[in-house]
Amino acid sequence: MLEYQNLFTRVQVRHAPDPGLPIPTPQYRVGKGGFGLLGYLAGKIGDAQIGPIYLGWFGTLSLVFGFAAFEIIGLNMWRSVGWDTVEFIRRLPWLALEPPSPEYGLRIPPLDQGGWYLLAGFCLTVSILLWWVRTYRRARALGLGTHLAWAFASAIFLYLSFFFQPVLVGSWSEMVPFGIFPHLDWTSAFSIRYGNLYYNPFHALSIAFLYGSVLLFAMHGATILAVSRMGGEREIEQITDRGTASERAALFWRWTMGWNATMESIHRWAWWFAVLTTLTGGIGILLTGTVVDNWYLWAVKHDVAPRYPAANIVTPDQREFLRGRYMGTSPDSFPDYKVPAAVIDTMALPPLDSAEIAPVIDAATMRDSLAAAGRVSIRAIYFSTANAMSRPESQPQYLEIQQLMLQNPTLRVMVEGHTDNVGQPDANLTLSKERAAFVRSRLISEFQVDSTRLVGTDGFGDTKPRATNDTPEGRRQNRRVELVRIP
Amino acid sequence: MIRRTSPALALALAGLALAGCRGDEKTQVVQLGTKDAVQVGYRGTGMEQTYDMDDVKVRFAGTNVPTPLPPAGTSPPGPLPWKNVQVLNDISVAEFNRTMVAFSTWVAGTGNCAYCHNVANFSADTLNDGTPIYTKLVARRMIQMTRHINGQYAAHVKNTGVTCYTCHRGKPLPNGLWFYSDRDDYLRHYLDRDGARVISQTEGPSNANRSSVKQTEWTYALMISMSQSLNVNCTYCHNSRAFSKWEQSPPQRVTAYHGIFMLRDLNQNYLAPLRPVYPAVRLGPMGDAPKAQCLTCHNNAYKPLYGAQMAKHYPAVWGRSEWNGVPFPAFGAAPSIAAATTPAAAADSGAAAAPAAVDAPVPSAGTTAAPGATAAPAPRTQQRR
Repeated sequence: MLEYQNLFTRVQVRHAPDPGLPIPTPQYRVGKGGFGLLGYLAGKIGDAQIGPIYLGWFGTLSLVFGFAAFEIIGLNMWRSVGWDTVEFIRRLPWLALEPPSPEYGLRIPPLDQGGWYLLAGFCLTVSILLWWVRTYRRARALGLGTHLAWAFASAIFLYLSFFFQPVLVGSWSEMVPFGIFPHLDWTSAFSIRYGNLYYNPFHALSIAFLYGSVLLFAMHGATILAVSRMGGEREIEQITDRGTASERAALFWRWTMGWNATMESIHRWAWWFAVLTTLTGGIGILLTGTVVDNWYLWAVKHDVAPRYPAANIVTPDQREFLRGRYMGTSPDSFPDYKVPAAVIDTMALPPLDSAEIAPVIDAATMRDSLAAAGRVSIRAIYFSTANAMSRPESQPQYLEIQQLMLQNPTLRVMVEGHTDNVGQPDANLTLSKERAAFVRSRLISEFQVDSTRLVGTDGFGDTKPRATNDTPEGRRQNRRVELVRIP
Repeated sequence: MIRRTSPALALALAGLALAGCRGDEKTQVVQLGTKDAVQVGYRGTGMEQTYDMDDVKVRFAGTNVPTPLPPAGTSPPGPLPWKNVQVLNDISVAEFNRTMVAFSTWVAGTGNCAYCHNVANFSADTLNDGTPIYTKLVARRMIQMTRHINGQYAAHVKNTGVTCYTCHRGKPLPNGLWFYSDRDDYLRHYLDRDGARVISQTEGPSNANRSSVKQTEWTYALMISMSQSLNVNCTYCHNSRAFSKWEQSPPQRVTAYHGIFMLRDLNQNYLAPLRPVYPAVRLGPMGDAPKAQCLTCHNNAYKPLYGAQMAKHYPAVWGRSEWNGVPFPAFGAAPSIAAATTPAAAADSGAAAAPAAVDAPVPSAGTTAAPGATAAPAPRTQQRR
């Protein structure tokens, strides 16, 4: 016996096309005689009726702008292979319409330097926004809620985030290229540039909602199909008039997972999961490069990423060599842009505790101390707790050390780090070594001290206190950097 | 990261599909290739290097390493009896001849002296009609480059060093030469001029790093080209959860980092400046000289020639008087050169010593071409210490 199955069926349901509600402006109606038509293939997978389609002004303009974007992208790709049709087809997955180069910042580039990209992006955005208006207005015209329009708006928010983030960091070049593989390559590069996007918690949320949406979709679809022989596909009806299909479906889930959604709430679950996928994703994009520049370091700081033992011991000399340089001056970066002071302020260190402030030891005093005792203890190079990088307040003391080395050209010193006894001895030892290495590398890189005269570094943790570790003042004296004269 | 689809796997899947279709037929069992996964980092971090052993065996067997020529022995050092020897004037006559034969085998085909020389006048840099022999001019610069690599870039080539054969593999043109073009843009940016670093060292945004996503894509392209050139995963050099962190990276990354510096130096100072020497047919579409990348030496092996040590047999390309603590008996014509520890110094001294050779008597061409294999081999310790 033939049986009607929606999704693939041997039964073609034939009926008089349903014209639907009267449309006030019939000239915008598309479809055979204004009544739609019956499609054989459509009948194979669902309702055979196609149309009538309502276009209206918004729909028509949306298609015009969408077509313009499609043409600009396609023709630029075609041009990029010298108008060679065979090459165009063969290399289509790799062809791209790229955003402007970084050198243009947020200025308008010539058409062939990214101007076409901006034009295509504009047309596509207008097309999408007009289509959104259409979904909203048609829902209203039919007396529906506007759930679909707002879910669509959430997706548009993610789409627009890829416009606003480049604007926030000050360069068109950061936008997503149009192209099949090129946009995937961009995704990978974006993640690498910002220190691994998997550590971005909003990216994580977006993935959780995305997978959750898929799971809910599968559970709901399977449930309704499983109870369709009891009339389960009349879901909305069953919200108010719960029949045996609804009862059995609910019981199935209570049996298997202890709890069930209802015929109505399952659709809210699905709607919210879908909406939150793109909403959280967009937030994650907007925070990247504007508030957080390296998500891995962010995750380490907030104990999201586990710390593993070092796989590789990097000596201070190697560290100096490996520090490398940012290519902020190459034509491919965008040095015009300056991070707003407000953003830097939010990332700033906590203010230095006034009790910590120690006198800066001038060059002459350091020289005398090195001559007399062979070493000088320095407290005015400040570090944040458990951090190996010195704070900006240390600048005056660094300048004095620079003077010391300039005024005594034969002087050779070694840098030692010391800590108080707060915390684990092992960690203090490592920290003191790292701090000494940091001070040395900073003296070399920022203050032009000859590296051969900064003979080396070492750290002793809390093993060589200068004062008692039992009082705050004593501990302050023990947190220090020492310069040791090397004969 | 980059893995070729294994034909064995495809066969196995096809076999499974066939087995599913025709249950009555005998199922064909196809063995998957033996894989060897080596842990290269902290447990549980996915830091492993996967080797397809069949693939490695085939590649290893396909790598030819020429047998070293018999040693030249201890012929007396002294000024070479030929004119216009500008670089190799710190070795004995026998070693010189032996080296020339090796060069021909490595680059142009054994005994093909005419590839670089005017056989009527070996000392000339031109043919009889006055046309410059570009191959000779390039070869001279390449010998200097080889010595520069072996002397200055021990951090990358270690004591294995390089010879002409490392790149040339018996062919005049090495693999992986590249020119300026849109396609090789990533190489232009990093192996020629700029740096690859794009990831911030600070959690928050700062003006220290304004690298763009486009730069990141070029870095990514460079990294993939390195991965393919060496036939290794990302995890050979990086912990991919934090690409920039040196402490979490395997030590190979430091070696590779020196390699980038080396290539930048070689491309800027040795290869690109040869542009006026080359005929147009050797230049790229934008008129630039051929340049090197990782693939040029590595040829899809994590170590070129799988680590075979050739330079230790050839003091002329090693450029120093000892290899790994073992002195070369035939090296050191001029005392100043024997004492020099860097090839830069050697090159300088070599240039200074060149005029002395001009005054020496000029032998016949036949003498010059004779390989110096007649001297008895001197006992030499060659194992690593």
